Amino acid sequence: MRVADPVQEAKDLSETPVGRVIESWKSAHPGAKAVGWFPVFSPIELTHAAGMLPISIAGGGNQMEIAHADSRFQSFVCSIIKSTLELGLTGQLENLDGMIFHSICDPAKNLTSVFKRNFPRLMVDFIHFTQNFASPVAEEYLAAEYGRVRTRLAELAGTEITDGQIRSSIATYNRVRERVRRLQGIRLNGRNQLSAAETAALLRAGGRMMPEDFLTLLDDALRVISSRPGKARDLVHVVLEGSFCEQPPLELIQSIEEAGCSILEDDFELGFRWFKGDISTEGDPLRALAHAYIDGSVHSAVKHDLRYRKAAPLVEKVRRTGAQAVVVLTAKFCEPALFDYALYREALEENNIPHVLVEFEEKMWAFDKIRSEIETFVESMMFD
Amino acid sequence: MLITAGVDVGSTQTKAVLIDDSRAIRASAIIDTGGHISKAAERVFDEVLSTGGLCRKDVSCVVGTGYGRFKVQFGDIQITEISCHAKGAVFLFPGTRTVIDMGGQDAKGIRVGLNGEVDDFVMNDKCAAGTGRFLSNASETLNLTLDAVGELSLRAERPVRLSTVCSVFVESDIMAYLAQGKKVEDILAGVNSAIAARTIALVRRVGIVPEVTFTGGVSRNIGMIRALETKLGMPLNVSPQSQLVGALGAALWAMEHAESAVRS
Repeated sequence: MRVADPVQEAKDLSETPVGRVIESWKSAHPGAKAVGWFPVFSPIELTHAAGMLPISIAGGGNQMEIAHADSRFQSFVCSIIKSTLELGLTGQLENLDGMIFHSICDPAKNLTSVFKRNFPRLMVDFIHFTQNFASPVAEEYLAAEYGRVRTRLAELAGTEITDGQIRSSIATYNRVRERVRRLQGIRLNGRNQLSAAETAALLRAGGRMMPEDFLTLLDDALRVISSRPGKARDLVHVVLEGSFCEQPPLELIQSIEEAGCSILEDDFELGFRWFKGDISTEGDPLRALAHAYIDGSVHSAVKHDLRYRKAAPLVEKVRRTGAQAVVVLTAKFCEPALFDYALYREALEENNIPHVLVEFEEKMWAFDKIRSEIETFVESMMFD
Repeated sequence: MLITAGVDVGSTQTKAVLIDDSRAIRASAIIDTGGHISKAAERVFDEVLSTGGLCRKDVSCVVGTGYGRFKVQFGDIQITEISCHAKGAVFLFPGTRTVIDMGGQDAKGIRVGLNGEVDDFVMNDKCAAGTGRFLSNASETLNLTLDAVGELSLRAERPVRLSTVCSVFVESDIMAYLAQGKKVEDILAGVNSAIAARTIALVRRVGIVPEVTFTGGVSRNIGMIRALETKLGMPLNVSPQSQLVGALGAALWAMEHAESAVRS
């Protein structure tokens, strides 16, 4: 056991400026490199397999003023795009060696080019995830794409990345994901031992450390949280959907919970919950990663899997968790989330599931309005 | 006889209503909120008790509402202003299915059920367009009191069109129109029309189902009532007590709570 309060340690780490986290890790690991990954999901096993730190670069939170990036992006672009660029423009990524973006939305795609142009020192790459999940060559395509990224990461690391090393990384992250599922199980036990804000803090911290350290943190946290007495409370049980990329301030999540919601399941830091189960550690590891993406990953607004109705997993999540309602919490100007909201709304109304839509920005400091909206929603459920 | 109170701490004014268990309003009070929210709540409560000839121990339950509801420290329960406006509006006008509430710093659309329950709602965000603050800025630019805006705007013959509903930049529009020699009443009618359009666009997000009841301080502006009615193509329910609807709703919630406590 390392610390008395691993959840507090996670909160502290998640609120530390990311530049300082990278600097601190590199000073403890002389010569080692750090590669950033942008939300929502990234095959960070490849970075880890090369002995480099895969670090989540997901905006600047509510600690940072946007003074430069506003002049590069339009006003209707979401905050995380601007604040991620701001991190670079203000020198907070100077210790970063590489950055990987993904095909999640147009602004993220454009951010890749902006990074390449503004930070030529960085190795910047972009993963084109499978768009046609039903194609017979989908898995082969994605494995090849991962192979291309492996080559780039190997060049950066100055060493070969072997299949064995990737399989070993997959196994390590499988253990991480298993602990994350156990955390999720605690949220569903009805005893209110663990809040959504605490879970988010733990996952945010996990994005800033090697998986071996994250495992230790999770084991400590699971031990502490399981020993909490907990008790049933008169709250409205909800599923929260829509915060898969830009992350709301932890205080905002707390406000939603304080307003009378017990958040049974959410999609904060979805990257660590991307897969429904373990990824195979047998055979071609790139093929295993690709197979898991195509056939073993959860629903997200940034995936366009036409093999199922987009809102179906949300309705299923409500049924599975026993939630009474859905809170759709989306970042302002998040196109994937807001496009999907129309589909969610239709499906939720078809299934008589109450829901409310609220929008946030990562740089929020005052939460009164959202709290009032959530309280009203809770009242409309309780007074009904 | 049970007596309950609702205290609505708004951004501009703080309101209180006392009702008895026949749901009759026994007294009401309105004061400016100012910078000390807790004190404003205390003062308005003392004032409404004094007006009603009652003392604190006569009141079975107090519900605090409005943005300062958690500062109603003597309150028994806090309920959001949206739930309270819905309750109060349906009490005053039982046919109400949509509430448009325009207060000092926010605007809301609320779709309500038969018993005053909230079915859906929407609030303005980070923008004072559609609020009393916008009208206040506009009237100050024209050197008028806020209360004069409504009547004066009804005299308009050729309302202007504003190019912005920004509370700050509207001043530039108004100054430009004054420089062009436009009449004050035409400018005011343009202000009301722009805000009405903006507010209706907001409320359409929850659906506008008649009857529509207009509440909040801005509902005292007859020019705004007419502008909304014209754009909606339907009459609005507006009570002389429209400013008190939130506090009234809070008092009604308090009464339900008090009666439930007595029964149990």
